Amino acid sequence: MSVIDIRFRVDAICKKFDKYDVEKQRDRNAHGDDAFARLYSAVESDLDAALEKSQRAAVETNRASSAALNAEVRRTKARLMEEIAKLYKLAQKKVKGLSKDDQMTRNDLVLALQERVQAIPDGTIAPHKQSGGWSASTSRENIKFDSSDGHLQDGFFQQTEEASQFRHEYEMRKMKQDEGLDVISEGLDTLKDLAHDMNEELDRQVPLVDEIDNKVDRAASDLKNTNVRLKETLFKIRSSRNFCIDIILLCVILGIVSYLYNALR
Amino acid sequence: MESAGSLAKELRNWSEVADFYRRASELYIECGRSQPASDALTKGARVLEEVVPEEAIKLYTDACAILEEDGKEQMAFDLYRAATSVYIKLEKFTDAAATLLRWGLAADKCNATNSQCKAYLSAIIVYLYLHDSTQAEKCYNDCSQIDAFLRSDQNRCATKLLSAYAEGDVEEIKHIAQSSTITHLDHVIIRLARKLPTGDVAALENNASKEQEEPLDENDLT
Repeated sequence: MSVIDIRFRVDAICKKFDKYDVEKQRDRNAHGDDAFARLYSAVESDLDAALEKSQRAAVETNRASSAALNAEVRRTKARLMEEIAKLYKLAQKKVKGLSKDDQMTRNDLVLALQERVQAIPDGTIAPHKQSGGWSASTSRENIKFDSSDGHLQDGFFQQTEEASQFRHEYEMRKMKQDEGLDVISEGLDTLKDLAHDMNEELDRQVPLVDEIDNKVDRAASDLKNTNVRLKETLFKIRSSRNFCIDIILLCVILGIVSYLYNALR
Repeated sequence: MESAGSLAKELRNWSEVADFYRRASELYIECGRSQPASDALTKGARVLEEVVPEEAIKLYTDACAILEEDGKEQMAFDLYRAATSVYIKLEKFTDAAATLLRWGLAADKCNATNSQCKAYLSAIIVYLYLHDSTQAEKCYNDCSQIDAFLRSDQNRCATKLLSAYAEGDVEEIKHIAQSSTITHLDHVIIRLARKLPTGDVAALENNASKEQEEPLDENDLT
């Protein structure tokens, strides 16, 4: 039996035996005809869910997902504010079986609920530690139509200071980039000139090198010829027959010299 | 013969130096060796540069002529450069400009476009140094006929320089003289360029505008 089957069976059994679920019955009976109480509990549960989501968004490191979660929280908050408006109206209605004190407390309960809803952090109040105007987009203040002018002006001034600082930094960086690019362009000009001159120099040397090539070829072949002839000559000179003849003649000459020496002494 | 020439140099017998070197080069030409012939003349010219510059220039030009006859213009570049520097030292600027134009012609024959454009730009600068903007413009117009010059960096630089002169903008002229295109020219020319503008640029501008007014007057009369 697969998991899906088990789930279906469990659901069917639960539905069948719902009427025996004590807690559910108690809730339903408790709220019964009281629309206020029902709505109240619904809003409360939604509020808890939104709070949990906002907490998750706070610890989320991925900016995109945290932004998405914050957006969801904001939407939930808006919806809850609408429900709270409805709750207000319901709170005014008289419900049978409820004491006067209870009626009063209902108003307070709704107020408290509204405050809790607004207190849910939804990432609109970002810290101002970022430089420049990048935080301007995320730290947009809530647009209030009936707020006092002084409050608006203060907010305005802060924005333009950041924006002007950012603009100033942008101008400085652009100037530095321009300077760097100027230096690079000068270097490139020099390189281009050098390359052109090298080109012309090489063009000049091409016929010279060709001439050198020819002359060297000629010289090499001459040398080869000379070497071969030298080798032949040496062979002829060093042949053993010539050697013996040389030795004999040398001995003869020595003999003659010694005879003359003896004769003259 | 060359050794005789160098000996004569030691003896400071200047006229004989020139004669010996010329004789040497003639002998080389008879053997049909043009390069050593021009080399001999160059050596003589280098020796005489300090002492008898006019003679040196004559030797340089003769050497260039020999090489050009033989079709070896590439070798002549150095000679032209030396001749130009001697002329500028002698402050004979028109002759210098003429030599530069001949250099440009030689460069054209061997398709050395970079040297050619540099030679033309140098000629324009020399004319401007003479404070002769009309000549400079004429020279510029002549050079613009040549395609390679028209398309080059040097042409742009020349246009800027001439327009700065026409407007009489001293700062602009100085700024252009510092630019890299001029820095790549021969250092003698760079020295001249740095000294630009000579004289009163505003006066030049007045002359130019006066010339423009005259045709209008003629129209009014007729």
